[in-house]
Amino acid sequence: MWAKTITGNFANVIHGLNANHLTDQVIQRSKRMILDTLGVGLLGTSTEVCHKVTQYSKIYSSDISSTIWGHLDFRLPPLYAAFVNGVAVHSMDFDDTWHPATHPSGAVLPAVIALAEAFPQKKKISGLDLLLAFNVGIEVQGRLLRFSSEARNIPKRFHPPTVVGTMGSAAACAKLLALDRPKCKNALAIAASYAGAPLANAATQTKPLHVGNAAKHGLEAACLASQGLQGNKQILDMESGIGAFYTDYSPQTLPTLQSYPWLLDQQDVAIKRFPAHLGTHWVADAASSVRRKLVESSDDLLPLDKIEKVVLKVPEVKYVNRPSPACEHEARHSFQFVACSALLDGSMSVQSFTSENVHRPALRELLRRTQLEHPPDNTPSFESLYCEVSVTLRDGSAISDRCDTFYGHWRKPLEKEDLEKKFQCNASSVLPPEAAEGIIETVYNLEKVEDCSVLSTFLSGRWARALWEKLHLL
Amino acid sequence: MVYFTLQKSQKFLASSRQVHKTAAHVVARSAPEETVTSSFASFIHAVQPEHLSKTVRHRSKRMILDSIGVGLVGSTTHVFDIALQYCRELYSSVAVSSVYGKPGVKLSPTLAAFTNGVATHSMDFDDTWHPATHPSGAVLPALLAASQMLPPGTKPNGTDFLLAFNVGLEVQGRLMHFSTEAHNIPKRFHPPSVVGTMGSAAATAKLLSLSTAQCTHALGIAASLAGAPMANAATQAKPLHIGNATRLGFEAALLAARGMEANPLILDDIAGCSGFSAFYNIYQPKPLSTPSDHHEFLLEKQDIAFKRFPAHLGMHWVVDAALSVRNLFINYAGSFSPSLIRTIVLKIPVSKYINRPFPSSEHQARHSFQFNACTALLDGEVGLSSFTESSIHRQELRELLDKVVVEHPEDNVANFDKMYGEVALLLHSGDVLTGKCDTFYGHWRKPLSKESLLKKFRSNASHVLPEEKIETIITMVDNLENLPDSSLLACSL
Repeated sequence: MWAKTITGNFANVIHGLNANHLTDQVIQRSKRMILDTLGVGLLGTSTEVCHKVTQYSKIYSSDISSTIWGHLDFRLPPLYAAFVNGVAVHSMDFDDTWHPATHPSGAVLPAVIALAEAFPQKKKISGLDLLLAFNVGIEVQGRLLRFSSEARNIPKRFHPPTVVGTMGSAAACAKLLALDRPKCKNALAIAASYAGAPLANAATQTKPLHVGNAAKHGLEAACLASQGLQGNKQILDMESGIGAFYTDYSPQTLPTLQSYPWLLDQQDVAIKRFPAHLGTHWVADAASSVRRKLVESSDDLLPLDKIEKVVLKVPEVKYVNRPSPACEHEARHSFQFVACSALLDGSMSVQSFTSENVHRPALRELLRRTQLEHPPDNTPSFESLYCEVSVTLRDGSAISDRCDTFYGHWRKPLEKEDLEKKFQCNASSVLPPEAAEGIIETVYNLEKVEDCSVLSTFLSGRWARALWEKLHLL
Repeated sequence: MVYFTLQKSQKFLASSRQVHKTAAHVVARSAPEETVTSSFASFIHAVQPEHLSKTVRHRSKRMILDSIGVGLVGSTTHVFDIALQYCRELYSSVAVSSVYGKPGVKLSPTLAAFTNGVATHSMDFDDTWHPATHPSGAVLPALLAASQMLPPGTKPNGTDFLLAFNVGLEVQGRLMHFSTEAHNIPKRFHPPSVVGTMGSAAATAKLLSLSTAQCTHALGIAASLAGAPMANAATQAKPLHIGNATRLGFEAALLAARGMEANPLILDDIAGCSGFSAFYNIYQPKPLSTPSDHHEFLLEKQDIAFKRFPAHLGMHWVVDAALSVRNLFINYAGSFSPSLIRTIVLKIPVSKYINRPFPSSEHQARHSFQFNACTALLDGEVGLSSFTESSIHRQELRELLDKVVVEHPEDNVANFDKMYGEVALLLHSGDVLTGKCDTFYGHWRKPLSKESLLKKFRSNASHVLPEEKIETIITMVDNLENLPDSSLLACSL
C-alpha cells in the first residue's frame, strides 16, 4: 500500500511487517540484545536511582499490573513497570549502543514486556509476537536516526534515546497491540509530543530516566492512539514535527515490505563489557594493554611512583571529559577515570564504580597526572573513533597502545559465552539461578514460545518445574 | 494508602558526595554559587506571599478563575474523554484528586493534573501571555491536584496556593526572556511544553516547600520531560501538551522531593552539552534576583490575554476586524448579503500553522484565520457552537471561504504584542469596505472587564456544574488569600 507521506509510509510498514520478514541474522542479533538488556536491567534494580523511581511509582497501583524485574513482592501498572524497568536498564549505562548512536533496546523491551503481560482482553502474546514487535521498535529508531547527519556523531543537544527511543517504543507497542494503519500513525504523532530531553542530564542520576521515560511514553502514546486519540498525520514529514529535534532533517520513506532489509541485519549493536559510556570502552582496552606492558604479572601493582604522566588521545566529547569525577554517574562518563581505573586494576568491572573505588587515593593521584588530547583525525563517532593511551615514566621512557575496536563493538562482537557470562553475572545479583537459566532458555527459543508471559514469570524470580517443562514441550 | 509523606529534609543534601556539582565550581556555604539555575532555585524557595503586589494578586486570580472555567467546559470534549478513560483504566488507587466537571471521579494526583490540563487546553480557550505561552493551564491543575494530595494538617492555605501559582507563572515568563525567538509566534517547539513543564515543576516545588537543592533538581528533571514539536498544534493531540506540561512538571517535583538529582546547571549555558538551551537556537540565560524586600513579578508589567471564544489567539484580531467590517456592510447593504462580495482579503502575519483555507476538523478550525473571519462575517459572532461539525461544514461558510485571499503585509509581525488583523470586503460593485483591529477586546492592552470575565466563567461552568457550585467557586477565588485550606477549591470542582 503506497502512502503519500513518510509518516503514512512508516505506519504502513509498522502495520505490515510480520514474522516472515524476520531474517535469521536479525533474529539472532535481536535475541542477544534482549538477553543482554534483561541482564543489565536485573542488575540495575539494585541501584539508588532505581529505588527512587520505584518508590515514586508505587504511588500508583491498579488492578492491571506488570512485573518489575527482579521483584516478586510487588507489581505496577504497565506504564510504570515500563518506566521502572527502563530506568533499571540504563541505570548504570550498561546497556547496548547502536550506530547511529542511541541505546535502542532499553527504550523498547521494558515497554513490550510490560504491555504483553497486561494485554487487553487478557490475550496471550507469543514469543514470536514479542520478537517481532521488539524488532519493529529497533528498526524505527534506526530509520529515524538516518534522517539527520547530526545523528552520526555523538550527540550534543538532545539525548537520542529520548528522541528516537520514544518513537521506537510507540512503534513497538503499536505493533504488539495490532493497531490499524491510521492508529499506528497517531501513535507516532502522539509519541513525538513526548520526545526529547536535553543532553545536560547525562552523567547525572536523571539520565536513566531518559530511557525509562522513552519506554513509558511510547507505550502511553500507543495506548492513547488505541483509544482513538489523533495527532498530526505528517509528524515525520514536517520540520515542525520530529524535525524539531534536528537542525538538518531529511526524512525518507522506508523500503517496501518485500524481503524487508532490516537495519539490524546490516548494522549490529555494541554490547558493553562494563557499565560506562561507550566511548570509555576504547580507553579501557588500550589502558589494559598498556598496563600489561608495564607490569610483569597481573598480580603486580602498577608502579605508580614511576609514572610521570598519562596522556589519552580521544575524540572531543565534552560530556565524557571529566578530569575529576565525584560520583558514580560522573565516573561512568569520564575518559580519564576509566583509563586510570584500568591502569590500576587491569580491567573494568561493575565494581570499578563503587564509591570506595571512585574515591581511592591511588586513583585520584593518577587522575591528577592524566590529560587529554584531541587529534583532529579522531572523530566523535562510534563508528570511527579510536583511543591511544600513553604512559610516560619518570625515566623518560613511554609505553603506549592504541585501540581501534574494543571487544564488544559491532566490528568485534562478544562471543556467545561472554554474552551469557555477562548476563549470568548480572542476573545472579537478584535472581535465583534457575530463573536466570529460564530466561536464557526462553530468549534463545523465543520464536517457539507460545506464551511470552513465561519470561515475565522468570523475571520476577519465580521458577517452577512446570514452567521449565512448558518450555521444553514445544 | 491515600497519603504519603514527603522527604523535605535536608539529608540528601548533607551527604557530601553531591555538594560539588562539577569539577569547575565549588559551592561555598554562605554565598551560594550564583549560577542561573541556582538563582531560580533560590527564588522559588525564598519568595514569600509578601512579595506579591496588589496588581499581581488581582491579575492572577482572574487567571485562576478563567482557567477553571475553560477547564470545566473542556471536560465536555472528546479529547478529554479519551484522556480520562485512559487514566481510569490504568489506575484506580490513591485516587484523591478531583477531575473537572466529574464530581464522583477521583484520580491519582499527577493523572488528575494531566486530565485537567487536557481539559483546559482542549478547545484552545485558555489564556495567552507575552512572550507567547499558555501559562495557567500548565500550572493550575498540578497545584489543585497537589493540594488534595497533602495530608490534613499540612494543607496549604489560599495565600500559599496563590503564591505557588505566581511562582509557576514567573518562572515561565523569565525562561521565555532567555531567547529572542520566544517573542514571536513559535515554529519549532510548542512553548507550553517547554516553559510550562518548568513552571509546573517550580510551582509544585513551592507548594510542597522543597528545599533550594530540591528546587534545583526539580527544574533539572523537568527539563528532561519538556519539549513537544509544533506539528501537533491544530490536532487533537495539542491539548496533551498542556496536560503533560502540568503533569510532568509535577512528577519532576515529586521525584526531586524523593531525592532524585539532575544537572544543577540545567538552565545555564553549558558548552558542548545542551541543557534547557536545547530548545532554542539563541539562548541567553540571566539569573533571577533573590527576592529580598522587593521582587517585581513579570505579571505586574505584562498582563495576560483572555480569549472570548475558543480558538487560537491570532484569530481574535481577525474576528474583531471582521465584525467591524460586517457592521459597515450591513449599514451599506441593509443586511449581510454574501452574494454581493467578490473577494475577502485578510491581512495577517505569516504563521503556517494558523493559515488554513479549508479546515476539516474542529482543531484545524480553531487554528484558521480564514475560518474565524468567515464565521464572524456570517454569524456576527464566534462562540462554542461555531466549531461543531455541522457549523464547520455548512455550505454558506464554504462558499465564503472560497472567496478568501490572504496577504502578509511586511509590517504585520507574527507577534502577539504587535500583530494586527485586517479584513477587506471587495464587492462586485467595486466598493471596498475595510475593518481593522490592532487590539482585540480581551488582549492585555484592552483587558476583559470583571463582568465579561465572570460572564465567560459562568457560561463555561454552567455546562457541567449547578449554579450554587459556580457561585461558590467565584467567591472562593475572589477571596483566595483568606481561604484556610486551598484544597477546598479543588474539592469544589
